[in-house]
Amino acid sequence: MKTKTLVANALVAALYIAVSAVIQPFGFTNVQFRVSEIFNHLVVFNKKFFFGIIFGVFLTNLMFSPMKAYDIIFGVAHSAISLGIIILLAKYIKNYLVLMTANTLVFTFNMFIIAFELKLALGMPFLFTWLTTAAGELVVLAVGIPIMLALNKQVRLDRLI
Amino acid sequence: MNEYMIIGQYVPGNSFVHRIDPRTKITIIFFFVIFVFFANSVGSYGILTAFALITTFITRIPLKFILKGLTPVWFLIIFTFSLHLIVTKDGTVLFNLFGWEIYSGGVIQGVAISLRFFLLILFTSLLTLTTTPIEITDAIEDMLAPLNKIKFPVHELALMMSISLRFIPTLMQETEKISKAQSSRGVDFRTGPLKERIKAVVPLLVPLFVSAFKRAEELAMAMEARGYRGGEGRTKLRLLKIQSIDIWVYLLFTCVIIGLFLLRTY
Repeated sequence: MKTKTLVANALVAALYIAVSAVIQPFGFTNVQFRVSEIFNHLVVFNKKFFFGIIFGVFLTNLMFSPMKAYDIIFGVAHSAISLGIIILLAKYIKNYLVLMTANTLVFTFNMFIIAFELKLALGMPFLFTWLTTAAGELVVLAVGIPIMLALNKQVRLDRLI
Repeated sequence: MNEYMIIGQYVPGNSFVHRIDPRTKITIIFFFVIFVFFANSVGSYGILTAFALITTFITRIPLKFILKGLTPVWFLIIFTFSLHLIVTKDGTVLFNLFGWEIYSGGVIQGVAISLRFFLLILFTSLLTLTTTPIEITDAIEDMLAPLNKIKFPVHELALMMSISLRFIPTLMQETEKISKAQSSRGVDFRTGPLKERIKAVVPLLVPLFVSAFKRAEELAMAMEARGYRGGEGRTKLRLLKIQSIDIWVYLLFTCVIIGLFLLRTY
């Protein structure tokens, strides 16, 4: 791994946590409105952002989530699987808008992993929890699309690392 | 801003729990999280509760810190308890609450799941209350070391985590500063139509990204200038060492788990 890639990913993870904590300090449990989830779109522009996002999720859950162990295991699994799917799709699709829409749908669908976590830990009804968590994720990621496109225009995310 | 500056919930101290090797703590917590699901009786829940409470007590962390960490989950615990109380229809009807028949099975299940959840939260939070994030990073690096053999970049990822931890407070301050600067220029993050609020995030993210990547570039250059060439042959400032207290902790935990299985029928 190149030193710059390593350091840049570390800073993406730190940004993920900083934005989670400063912009909106609630986004755990069954209604997930975590603003920094829009960072998941970074992988669309450059697959090298994968580790930064995963670490962001890992450290946020380690330090701020009350459900620690569960949120770490299931949160990281959710992000890793979803990002993996998008990296695969990115080999065939080059349009950012299409990819980000796919990313939004994949992350939203995969919220069943989080719903399963909450069912396991709290015995919450699976379908209801899937719906509520997925709705939150859908909103944040859909809102994230224009934001990331605007950001990309200014900072060219694909060329940063 | 000050409350953001406390990274994680680490409370400095020199208690028995603070002194346990972070790898031991992570391993014990990992197995605790699994074995808590095997509790199914008053006795088995009792032994786990006693173990978790005694461990919490010997950390000598003021109760207010522990309760503060649990604040966001009280609502969840009460919500889950109420849900099971209403939904579960096993056993005998105990009483009628605003038209809902409350069954004995609902009360038992509600109490069991809430207690299990409480134990999970309490016990796992002991890790971050008694271990610094850097110690956790070192422990994870050490525990994942076997993955080096399959070319998994364990060292790089651990370094990434340390750098990340170092920059969290800096970037939090920066986020706060930029959002205040933009607010003073009239950007409104909290009110107005959704479209406007979405637009308001862009002037916050652009300077944040620009400054973060500028820092990344400078740091990468500084690291290379000082001869950083990756993990091979690097020595460590902090060395982890398994001591006799770790062996005792493993033995004690094994006894608790044996006790848990013996008490499953009581």
